[in-house]
Amino acid sequence: MIAIDSYAYNNKLTTIHPLEKSLFAILTMSICLMSKTMITPLLVLALMSGGIILKAGIPGRILTKLLAIPLSFLLISVLTIAFSFAADPSGFWFAHTFNSITIGIRYPDLITAINLFLRSLGAVSCLYFLALTTPLTELITLLHKMKVPVIITELMVLIYRFIFVFLDTATTIRRAQLCRSGYVSTKSSFRSMSRLFSALLGKVFVKSQDLYNAMAARCYTGEIKVLTKKHPVNVKNYFLIAGVEISLVLLNLLWR
Amino acid sequence: MSELILEAVDLEYCYPDGTSALRKVNLEVRKGEKLAILGSNGAGKSTLFMHFNGIYTPSAGAIKFQGQPISYKKKALIELRKKVGIVFQDPDSQLFSASVFQDISFGPLNLGLSEEEVMERVRKAMLDTETTDLEEKPTHLLSYGQKKRVSIAGVLAMEPEIIIFDEPTAGMDPRHSLEFMQLLDKLSSEGKTIVLSTHDVDLAYSWSDRLAIMYRGEILAHGYPGDLLTRPEIVKRADLTIPWLIETHSELVKKGWLPPSTPLPKTKEDLFRNIPFKKEQQSA
Repeated sequence: MIAIDSYAYNNKLTTIHPLEKSLFAILTMSICLMSKTMITPLLVLALMSGGIILKAGIPGRILTKLLAIPLSFLLISVLTIAFSFAADPSGFWFAHTFNSITIGIRYPDLITAINLFLRSLGAVSCLYFLALTTPLTELITLLHKMKVPVIITELMVLIYRFIFVFLDTATTIRRAQLCRSGYVSTKSSFRSMSRLFSALLGKVFVKSQDLYNAMAARCYTGEIKVLTKKHPVNVKNYFLIAGVEISLVLLNLLWR
Repeated sequence: MSELILEAVDLEYCYPDGTSALRKVNLEVRKGEKLAILGSNGAGKSTLFMHFNGIYTPSAGAIKFQGQPISYKKKALIELRKKVGIVFQDPDSQLFSASVFQDISFGPLNLGLSEEEVMERVRKAMLDTETTDLEEKPTHLLSYGQKKRVSIAGVLAMEPEIIIFDEPTAGMDPRHSLEFMQLLDKLSSEGKTIVLSTHDVDLAYSWSDRLAIMYRGEILAHGYPGDLLTRPEIVKRADLTIPWLIETHSELVKKGWLPPSTPLPKTKEDLFRNIPFKKEQQSA
């Protein structure tokens, strides 16, 4: 998660308008999820991987690692769809019969499973494209401009900031505990862990009060108003997005 | 003497758990001056500062702004906070946004300025604190000193009349702390009133026009830095030390290198200028 976050600020696509990147990712994802062919998700996966590695300049091994995370979940769910149990051994494409129960794969199920697998992977790659190229702060601003209720966007701002503050605090406490042999045995690990959590809970209250005071000192009146840097709008990118999405839709419709 | 701008009168404050943090604090801040509050850890410096713009309400006594006791009504507080800015000690509790630019723009936007003006002020504050190149970075990837500079920019952009800095140079490297002191001089020459807390006696001695020494919630003494910091009984009672400039100066006087009439050096350069060349001394 930390890796994704730091790449979001350090890639070659940071200067692109966040709306353009979001449109590209979200539209492609929807088309990928709606596709009935196998070729569209494969194309989407290739397109997004190309975008992430070649355009954004993120190392391929990072993307491979990230794609491997959902892979395990996907494989499990796909296997349960592909395999079926039946008393009647007819209709199976590939099967094995134990006693009177047949376990096997029916051909249409296999196709559904592969389709589902590719569609999910394609969709995940779209989300990774967005997450790896667009900082969350810009996405929040985008949501704000799209009239998402202020309470949600403000909470997102604060939560996002404080994830890192508390992660930092927790790392420091854990390091200090490790230095004093806090995790040498199971028993001491549990004790140290519980103290870490209670210390962190205490900090949450202190920090939130401090933050409120500091914001009040800067004339906070209940609404967090901020300015964001303006990104140049690139009309060429919109044409590019339109071109890609239209061809993907056509592919979906025509390739049967 | 210039006019009184901010004043604490018989200020007392007890934390909700009953510990008394401030006891009968009387302090005057004059327009355009450089006031340093010296005190060891837990002397009540931060608590005092929280009163100066109405974050804390005193248990007894009052804070006066331009001669009038401050009102704790919402509208009046906002007016006060436009004029009195505080840079907090811990930048992590002041920065609420992961975006440097957004965080700095928060204060000036709350003043009701136009977007263009806010943009202009943010740019200027970033230039003054050398944070322009941090703009693209998220606050959680910054170092402590960088975060500190961003939090200073966030208050500078509001352009308050009085700026209060709580331990500003703690955690800054020598280069940035020197540059920060130069920034303070620049702000001061622009007519801003600056109040700063520190436990660095050398810094407080060289920088300030006036000094207050705090100890366990009380003001032990206030006056000119040269008068206060030469009195060992006060310095010792406040758990502080005598600035090295004064110590070196008095040692030089004691051993006859300098005539007793030599004025106290305010800076390192003053001291070096005072020390005569050996050749001249031999010929004299």
